[in-house]
Amino acid sequence: MMAQQENGRLFEDTLSVMTLGSQFDEESSFGSDSEINGFTSSRQTDKYGFIGGAQQYSSESAQEVPLEVLRHREAKWLDMLNHWDKWISKRFKKVRLRCQKGIPPSLRGRAWLYLSGGKVKREQNSRKFEELDSMDGDPKWVDVIERDLHRQFPFHEMFVSRGGHGQQDLFRVLKAYTLYRPDEGYCQAQAPIAAVLLMHMPAEDAFWGLVQICEKYLPGYYSAGLEAIQLDGEILNALLKRVCPPAYRHLEKHKIEPILYMTEWFMCAFSRTLPWSSVLRVWDMFLCDGVKIMFRVGLVLLKCMLGSREKLKACPGQYETMELLRALEPRYLQEGFLIHQVLELPISARDVEREHRMQLKRWRKTHGELSYKSPPRMHGTRAIMSAEPHTRQDLRQKPTIVVHYPVPSDTKSEFARVKKRSTIRKASNPTLDIPNPYALSWTLTSCLYVPDKRTDKQRKTPEESNSSAPKASKNLY
Amino acid sequence: MQNNRKEHLYKILVIGDLGVGKTSIIKRYVHQTYSTNYRATIGVDFALKVLNWDSETVRLQLWDIAGQERFGNMTRVYYREAMGAFIVFDVTRPTTFEAVSKWKEDLDSKLTLSNGQSIATVLLANKCDQKRDFLTNNSLKMDQYCKENGFVGWFETSARENININEAANFLVKHIIASENDILKSVVPDTISPQLNSDKEMTCSYWLSLD
Repeated sequence: MMAQQENGRLFEDTLSVMTLGSQFDEESSFGSDSEINGFTSSRQTDKYGFIGGAQQYSSESAQEVPLEVLRHREAKWLDMLNHWDKWISKRFKKVRLRCQKGIPPSLRGRAWLYLSGGKVKREQNSRKFEELDSMDGDPKWVDVIERDLHRQFPFHEMFVSRGGHGQQDLFRVLKAYTLYRPDEGYCQAQAPIAAVLLMHMPAEDAFWGLVQICEKYLPGYYSAGLEAIQLDGEILNALLKRVCPPAYRHLEKHKIEPILYMTEWFMCAFSRTLPWSSVLRVWDMFLCDGVKIMFRVGLVLLKCMLGSREKLKACPGQYETMELLRALEPRYLQEGFLIHQVLELPISARDVEREHRMQLKRWRKTHGELSYKSPPRMHGTRAIMSAEPHTRQDLRQKPTIVVHYPVPSDTKSEFARVKKRSTIRKASNPTLDIPNPYALSWTLTSCLYVPDKRTDKQRKTPEESNSSAPKASKNLY
Repeated sequence: MQNNRKEHLYKILVIGDLGVGKTSIIKRYVHQTYSTNYRATIGVDFALKVLNWDSETVRLQLWDIAGQERFGNMTRVYYREAMGAFIVFDVTRPTTFEAVSKWKEDLDSKLTLSNGQSIATVLLANKCDQKRDFLTNNSLKMDQYCKENGFVGWFETSARENININEAANFLVKHIIASENDILKSVVPDTISPQLNSDKEMTCSYWLSLD
């Protein structure tokens, strides 16, 4: 009876996935051991994998991109990924612009890995993850991590089932990090970061992505003492004073210290705060440009929620204000609106650095020397690339499955073509002359991306298993 | 008439080790729900509960504070101006009970009432619907523990089965009001302090005497 019910539900949900969109591969969305067993919602899975909760897709919160535009973007991103070092060193502005427009979902995982420098790290430390993965973790950390596994995005199909593939991989990544940096151990806020990465890439890649975020983008955020996040709270406050004085004064007046409202925002890189489409766009920009994006998003939210006299009147006390900052109005979180505001806000990496120095001075006066010396923060892809030497080999794409499609004779790197033309046309309409690489009838955009919940071991390469190639080809990662 | 109603606003902390059920207790108390799908609390979270207390209104701001040790560096800010606290442990995990005294020390070292007293704190032995194999089945020992460690009382609770949560909250509010009256008394010595309403007596068998 029980089993029948579960089967019934599984069938229903699988159907909903099948009908919901071409982005999903109906074959691989659920493994044979259904990830949704025991989940009682009858709601549909959205295109991001959410089956419920506040972050689920809604047409009001997300911005639609026409399919043709998406395909053009994919072609451009494929080209950039193929000539990554050149693009970063010579045409970084264009890369940034494309991150701001949103990375195509099919290539997001790969792009994030390149942007963060995780790709180079992985190549230069091949087998490292494997080694860490095979080791036993410190029981102290293992215990804490295990308590958190079922508490990350409980409404995402990947993480909904206890002991399912998502939770298993999350454990592997977080445990590996505690072995990689035993001095740091595990901080609870790392779990949502790792989970977001795992929604887009296999465990090994997610591990290196996490390493880069913890060491380069947000150094010290997760270390014992949590000084870096508190310091960033002060920086945020100081920037707010400049960007929106009324909001700043209001928070000062009611003694609302930054760590009362920004801890989760920053430590989880807004992954638990915004609708999912906005989370992804924020991460696209964050991984490209670094922490200034966190500050900008935070400032936009504060400005929107506390920016006018009427709004401040409505929250006369400390608690009311904090309630307000917790119940952010959906219209401000809407993808198009939020990204536009973030891009408009003139806060640069230099502003952040300048404020960092001032706040650090103040901190030393009031709290004494920082007890944890974190390495300098790196503001995005370019800084990381120049700090971490790499070879061309490190950047070579190594897809596990190679799809051969007819190559149009005039296909050259956009980089090469543009260079020849010597002028760079701006973004408004640059895509029309790019040949569509998806000429084969069966290759839809979805072929490039499937949120893959299988573990690395299950993810077969063509060499390992030729027989499964036709099916696996849809899982081109 | 509504305007004549006296209002009290109390900030109450809910602290204790990671995964002991702080968020679940608050959700049960405020929203009358229970779920296994709560996210781990990062930093701090809040909820508001409004109670009718005799002829008065009591608003409780419940502050749900992240349980991982490394957030301990932020607790000074989170604790500020709180009037009462729950310290929660998980009856199935002895280590979470061992951490109780650490939480109590942290609280007392960072926060005192204007008369120098520590704030009213109630100990919650949560997940009592589950199998447990230590100490809380010895209520005499627990009473003793509370006395020695400055808790005004303790309750066995279950957020899942909705056991004793309301009782514990009422008990804490009663103590907060009592300690507030103490403070008033010491500030204005000639005020007559109102007696606690005896029909509000708690059904719980664990509470210690108010002195």
